[in-house]
Amino acid sequence: METVLSINQISKQYGKIQAVNELSLEVTKGQIFGILGPNGSGKTTTLSIILDLIKADQGSYEWFGETPDKESRKRIGSVIESPNFYPYLNPTVNLQLVADIKDFGYDDIDRVLQLTGLDERKKSKFRTFSFGMKQRLAIASALLGKPEVLILDEPTNGLDPQGIAHIRELILEVAHQGTTIIMASHLLDEVQKICNHVAVLHKGKKLFDGKVSEVLAISDSFELGSADPESLASAVKLHPAYQSHKSNADTIQVFFKEKVKPGELNAFLFERGVILSHLSERKRTLEQHFLELLQNNQ
Amino acid sequence: MIKLLKIELKKIRTYKIFWILAGLYFIFLVLGILMAEFMINNMVDNMNKHLPIPAPHMNIYFFPEVWQNMAFFATIRYVLIFPAIIIMILITNEFTFKTIRQNVVNGLSKSEFILSKLYIILLISVITTVFFALSTFIIGIAHTSEVTWGMIFDKISFVIGFFITILTFQIYAFFFGFMCRNTGLAIALFTLYTFIIEPILYYFLKSPLVFKNGISTYLPVNAVFRVTEYPTIPVLKKMMGLNLQESISWGGCALPLLYSAIMIGIVFWTLKKRDL
Repeated sequence: METVLSINQISKQYGKIQAVNELSLEVTKGQIFGILGPNGSGKTTTLSIILDLIKADQGSYEWFGETPDKESRKRIGSVIESPNFYPYLNPTVNLQLVADIKDFGYDDIDRVLQLTGLDERKKSKFRTFSFGMKQRLAIASALLGKPEVLILDEPTNGLDPQGIAHIRELILEVAHQGTTIIMASHLLDEVQKICNHVAVLHKGKKLFDGKVSEVLAISDSFELGSADPESLASAVKLHPAYQSHKSNADTIQVFFKEKVKPGELNAFLFERGVILSHLSERKRTLEQHFLELLQNNQ
Repeated sequence: MIKLLKIELKKIRTYKIFWILAGLYFIFLVLGILMAEFMINNMVDNMNKHLPIPAPHMNIYFFPEVWQNMAFFATIRYVLIFPAIIIMILITNEFTFKTIRQNVVNGLSKSEFILSKLYIILLISVITTVFFALSTFIIGIAHTSEVTWGMIFDKISFVIGFFITILTFQIYAFFFGFMCRNTGLAIALFTLYTFIIEPILYYFLKSPLVFKNGISTYLPVNAVFRVTEYPTIPVLKKMMGLNLQESISWGGCALPLLYSAIMIGIVFWTLKKRDL
């Protein structure tokens, strides 16, 4: 796979705070790469470093296998923190400025304004926009000229639920067309819905990275009880989705690889001669899961 | 260069504050030029109250003296502060709106960003100089009875002096803009320095406390204003026995240019080093 971005051991310190700590990442072409972490975990600092806004204290990074310069940034569309535009200019002129810097023509401007639902406001000054509209203009500017890579820092920040759904759809659509996407978010749910790869950051350190389906696998568990715990344990092991179990005092906790319905589980065990005296489903919220991930790595 | 200028012009094309300040600047520039003779003669009238033989009224709009007279009156502090404020607003806006970050993220290098501001300064200086040269030429033609080419070109070097004055003064403002990054702070510090701090420093360095007479004239803002000095008004000059500037001194031009070069260097160096 073609490497789009490789980050090699970068560190950045602000006074006593280690914002980024020996971080290494590799993003290959076509990935939807999520950088997940709580506030202050170094996501924005990392993105600012790879866009030449901030100088790293140590380490290096490469775009498209080359030493980065302004030309590599022209191939990247990005939304960093707050949407930054000239308040006294309308979105069309603001996007013309982006196109001028990137050496593009103006013919893509109407398309991105339409995509982000701003075409009706293309004559209004940027300062009259609501926050959600400003954020959408930032996304429009990132999409301008169909860049090879899209960097999105908290792209759905400040949007209403409808706007969030719309932007997520848009990101997936752009990704489907082959654009590599690097997205920072503190929302586990968002990363899970959009990304296929993820790196989890905490206090500037990478805890782990890999496929979303593996790293963020959510396995629900059941608490089961029976008069005969041993045969219960051996019967439940036969379930095709069985992953592991933990024996407690008079119940066992069973983890499954995929979603299992309580009724089906009961029927499955009954067929194998096990009569349950207790069955309760244990759902873990995504946030709980995330906290567990963090705890396990401390 | 064309690309960067095009981007800068697009940023200011519909920016009201720019056009209001630019308009005010040109009004004051024209007023400065038109009021100069009145101001001089007012001075003469005041002086005549104490003189046994009254000095005659002056005509300062004749060739070749008109070049120097106009270059002086068109570059007094009160007029020159306008383009300086415009430049500081244009630069600090980029930090206030955080658009400098967006420009860099989109693929402008930090050096190109600095250069684009220098180009706009150059453009403003060229346009103002052309305007100055044309209006002075017209005034000169209108007030000189027998014009010869020799008279016109005699003191035309003061047009270059005007250009260097306005260019370097804007570069000082550019320096304050990039260092302060905040519009209010930049304008306040620059204005305080130009009108209060440096004049105090100037007289302090001239005072018996320091004893070294020459140093005061090397202060940065003073160096800019010394490029085009007090107008030569032959009669006044003879009367008062003053040693006034006859032509542009190239050493005098080099000094503010040197200060400007140092300031540009510091701006490049700090922007490269500091995070945006």
